[in-house]
Amino acid sequence: MTPRLRTTAAPLLLGLMGIGALAGCSAPADTGTDDAGSNDTSETGSEGSGGSGEYADGTYEAEGEYQSPNGTETVGVTLTLEGNTVTDVQIETHPSNPNTKRYQGQFAEGIADVVVGQNIDELQVDRVAGSSLTSGGFNDAVEQIKSEAAA
Amino acid sequence: MLATEAVLRFEGIGAPWRLDTPEPLAPPTVAAVRELVDRYDRTWSRFRDDSLVTRISREPGAWRLPPEAEALQEIYEALYEATDGAMSPLVGARLAALGYDRAYSLRPSGETSPVPSWDDTVSWRGRDLATVRPVTIDVGAAGKGQLVDLVSDLLVDSGHPSHVVDASGDLRVRQWHRPFRVALEHPRDPRRAIGVIELTDGALCASATNRRAWGDGLHHVLDATTGLPTASVVATWVTAPTALVADAVATALFFADADRIPYETEHVRMRADGSVDASPGLEGALLR
Repeated sequence: MTPRLRTTAAPLLLGLMGIGALAGCSAPADTGTDDAGSNDTSETGSEGSGGSGEYADGTYEAEGEYQSPNGTETVGVTLTLEGNTVTDVQIETHPSNPNTKRYQGQFAEGIADVVVGQNIDELQVDRVAGSSLTSGGFNDAVEQIKSEAAA
Repeated sequence: MLATEAVLRFEGIGAPWRLDTPEPLAPPTVAAVRELVDRYDRTWSRFRDDSLVTRISREPGAWRLPPEAEALQEIYEALYEATDGAMSPLVGARLAALGYDRAYSLRPSGETSPVPSWDDTVSWRGRDLATVRPVTIDVGAAGKGQLVDLVSDLLVDSGHPSHVVDASGDLRVRQWHRPFRVALEHPRDPRRAIGVIELTDGALCASATNRRAWGDGLHHVLDATTGLPTASVVATWVTAPTALVADAVATALFFADADRIPYETEHVRMRADGSVDASPGLEGALLR
């Protein structure tokens, strides 16, 4: 079986990208401390940045605007932090774009079952498909971001 | 498992590869595979200073692309149309602005320019590309699948008709002596599988947004109409005769339902709420 390398840092990365990009900040993204511009940031749980090296567990929310080809769109981003790792990222769009609207509508209407699945250890398989491996360079960069974000 | 199965592992386009064959590959074949993968990277990686797409990103102009560009253009154009412009090869600059740049800065630059529209920016016909302004081509949604096919064809031409080419998330099985079983990893719980797909001939490609699918950064599912990562679908798995089609459709299914996609494929798809839909041919693969 292909060795699989897992990182919990990828969701953190998405969070950093999302917040920073939506905030339109030109400086490196500072998780949870971005108060630039017109962004309305609220938190439950307290920030632990500012040199302590720790982020408090909690849910962080931010509203942002971005320019799409169809004009200004707004989105809401919610990050969940647990043990200094972003464990969940929710991006809620408020589309004025008809395409976005249509697909969101389709997904909302879709009726499908939740599949519980089985433990992979109990299945006899040749390979696992889902989370691909990432390159060393990428992982190094994620580690660097993590250390800087917590500094 | 046959005792004679041979395995070759290497790194290519930023991802680990694994080739399984009943018999070991001769050194010249191994060298040819590595050269093919390196050549593809030198053309299509936007992460290299010396690549063709990096040159294209610097200034407008006209370029003659390598032969594989024809199939890329054809499938990207069909799926651009099927997804109303959401799946685009022109997301490269936007991905870089979001932090997926050459230096792996992983930091958004703050640039918020929209993804350029295809018709306004480029004329791409087969191997001929002309641009009216600098554009960063990103073939991450189909490129690795295509490269898997090219490696698979090379193995056939080198006397290895039976093989499995696995480029981490993109898999091509040819004339395998038994069903090759692949677990569909649950996006939220890597210890679990939501299904098992068996292949003896064909391709299976997986795409998931919870982790990067392509180590070279060429694959992150971005909606070109919003410039943002898509959020409604979290994972797709697609089977098709070729990895090119399976890879590209795996991304297209983040933006459109299968009935809009003009390729014969089977799929499993998980949405952000955990619900799963599957095409009739893969319903039975799910572990409910």
